[in-house]
Amino acid sequence: MSEIALENLGKTFGDFTALADMNLTIANGEFMALLGPSGCGKSTTMNIIAGMLRPSHGAIRFNGQDVVDVPMAKRGVGFVFQNYAIFTHMSVRENLAYGLRAQGAPGAEITKRVKAFAELLQLETMLDRPAAGLSVNILQRLAIGRSAILKPAIFLLDEPLSNVDAAFRAVMRSELKSLQGQFGQTMVYVTHDQLEAMTMADRIAVMDHGKLLQVGTPLDIYNNPADTFVARFIGAPGMNILDGRLIQKDDAVSVEVPGIGSVDLPPALQFAARDLNGSDVQIGFRPEQVSATGSGLTMRVGLVERIGARTIVHLEHEGIAAKAVLPADVAPPVARKDWTFTVPEDGVRLFDPVTGQALKARAH
Amino acid sequence: MQRAIPFEIFRYVVILSLVAISLVPTLWMISMAFKPIAEWSAAGADLTWWPRNPTLDNFRFIFGQSSTDLIVALERTAGRPIFASLLTATFGTLIAMTAGTAAAYGLSRFGQGGNLPLALIQLRLFPPMAVMIPVMIMWSFLGLIDNWFGLSLIYGIVTLPFAFWLMKTFFDDMPREIEDAALVEGCTRWRVFVRITLPMMRPALASSALFVFILNWSDYLIALLLTTRDWATIPVYMASLSSSMTGQLYGAKAALGVIAAVPPIIMGIAIQKHLVRGLTFGALKE
Repeated sequence: MSEIALENLGKTFGDFTALADMNLTIANGEFMALLGPSGCGKSTTMNIIAGMLRPSHGAIRFNGQDVVDVPMAKRGVGFVFQNYAIFTHMSVRENLAYGLRAQGAPGAEITKRVKAFAELLQLETMLDRPAAGLSVNILQRLAIGRSAILKPAIFLLDEPLSNVDAAFRAVMRSELKSLQGQFGQTMVYVTHDQLEAMTMADRIAVMDHGKLLQVGTPLDIYNNPADTFVARFIGAPGMNILDGRLIQKDDAVSVEVPGIGSVDLPPALQFAARDLNGSDVQIGFRPEQVSATGSGLTMRVGLVERIGARTIVHLEHEGIAAKAVLPADVAPPVARKDWTFTVPEDGVRLFDPVTGQALKARAH
Repeated sequence: MQRAIPFEIFRYVVILSLVAISLVPTLWMISMAFKPIAEWSAAGADLTWWPRNPTLDNFRFIFGQSSTDLIVALERTAGRPIFASLLTATFGTLIAMTAGTAAAYGLSRFGQGGNLPLALIQLRLFPPMAVMIPVMIMWSFLGLIDNWFGLSLIYGIVTLPFAFWLMKTFFDDMPREIEDAALVEGCTRWRVFVRITLPMMRPALASSALFVFILNWSDYLIALLLTTRDWATIPVYMASLSSSMTGQLYGAKAALGVIAAVPPIIMGIAIQKHLVRGLTFGALKE
């Protein structure tokens, strides 16, 4: 059981900063997802935790103990790679037993554990098959088993499901989650797939360009993105962000989006924006929260995508694009016509147009 | 894809002529090996593809059982040179593969060694004769002339660049995650190399070793310069197969050539499975 603390962790390759001053504490037994686009530094972070890379500065602590100088073999972490890293010259059984054997476990213990894990991962029928001929799905299952069998206190998974097929991915998502429930390891899961992060993680750390942008529960990140990058990155499609201006009339503050309309703000945001009358602001709202009834904003309808359970409506106004997601039972608007819609007050988020940071709601 | 018929004809003509160019001498050698002296010597009236009176005389001759037709008596039989060739080529391959693999692994994994790869390839850039004279002097100083180890050592040195470059390409192509996975599970670097990397590299090792072996096996020049009598190899011995009476003993040479072709072929067949994988190693990854 281990808590992982990253303190001012940084990694540079020559002039390139792969990771800049990362501070993150992952609690014992927590399932933490590192989420971000390719090249955001999430794999670098992972490799530093595992000990494959040495940080340029900063500290990594397992249970308070700095492990920067501990070689990877001694850190007691399990690591699952995107491309399985299966020893293809060995059988499934030998692969499972490999780590235990390397650590000098007694033979009886190895046999017992291999049997238990083969059952757990439904590999019993192919224990004596050579690993070389197995399918991609089975290879990844075996890779997970080979790491899990060592019962590491810290389990690191680097995009383990990005090579397997979609149906199997759904199965493995729930299996990984239950595996963690069973053994209670601290899990760090690197992915660029927000669905994996949202469904499995206790908390998500969103990263971009080597920086940690936000850490929070999946719902927190979805509902209250810390900046416009997180807002656009999370959700499919991501949050709509429009340029507007704060207007104060009497006591009420609203946002005017030039040429499109205006949106009223909830009380908490009104309070936060009170003294900013006339200043530029970015307004964000989830496509799912767009309501076809009422008035407020008007945009021209472009493409209407009907994808079964819901309909995605592409909206446009003089180069400004937005999307709306409507339930399938709501009649979609007519293409190439103007369409008027509303955004409920509590679905509105405000961002600083210069820094992209969210304007925090404040109580009275 | 459908191609024009003239092009197809042209293609096959080219292929067939290339096959003929490489096969005709080989087939001629095999045919000659089984011909009696009358059919291969200058006295033979006309040359035929198929031996009219097939015989094993040539083989008997080089192993010392002189037949009546061949009046010359051999000073030495082929047994010793065959053994010398086998021993020196094998040992030279062993030296080149051991040193080359170790160097390639270090360089591929740790990026150390600076200009070593270029320095090694440079060994192949100038003609062997340019270095053979100093080598001869050094070897003679060290007492390594006409000595199996001396010849093996120079074979190992000369073929080291091939072993190194082939193995480096293979190591570069192997996904590093496989080693990292074993390291993270508690293996030492040495154990990873011996238990994971080398077994997975078996196809690569096999095809590189075969390549290096054939280079050593077919050397004439170095053996000619560094051996005198005891450790003359097959090519050197073959050159001595002539007599003042009959001139070049083509039949005996052909017989020896057939024998010399056997080890590389056997090795090639034995590691054929690995060879194909070794040659297509880059395609191994998904």
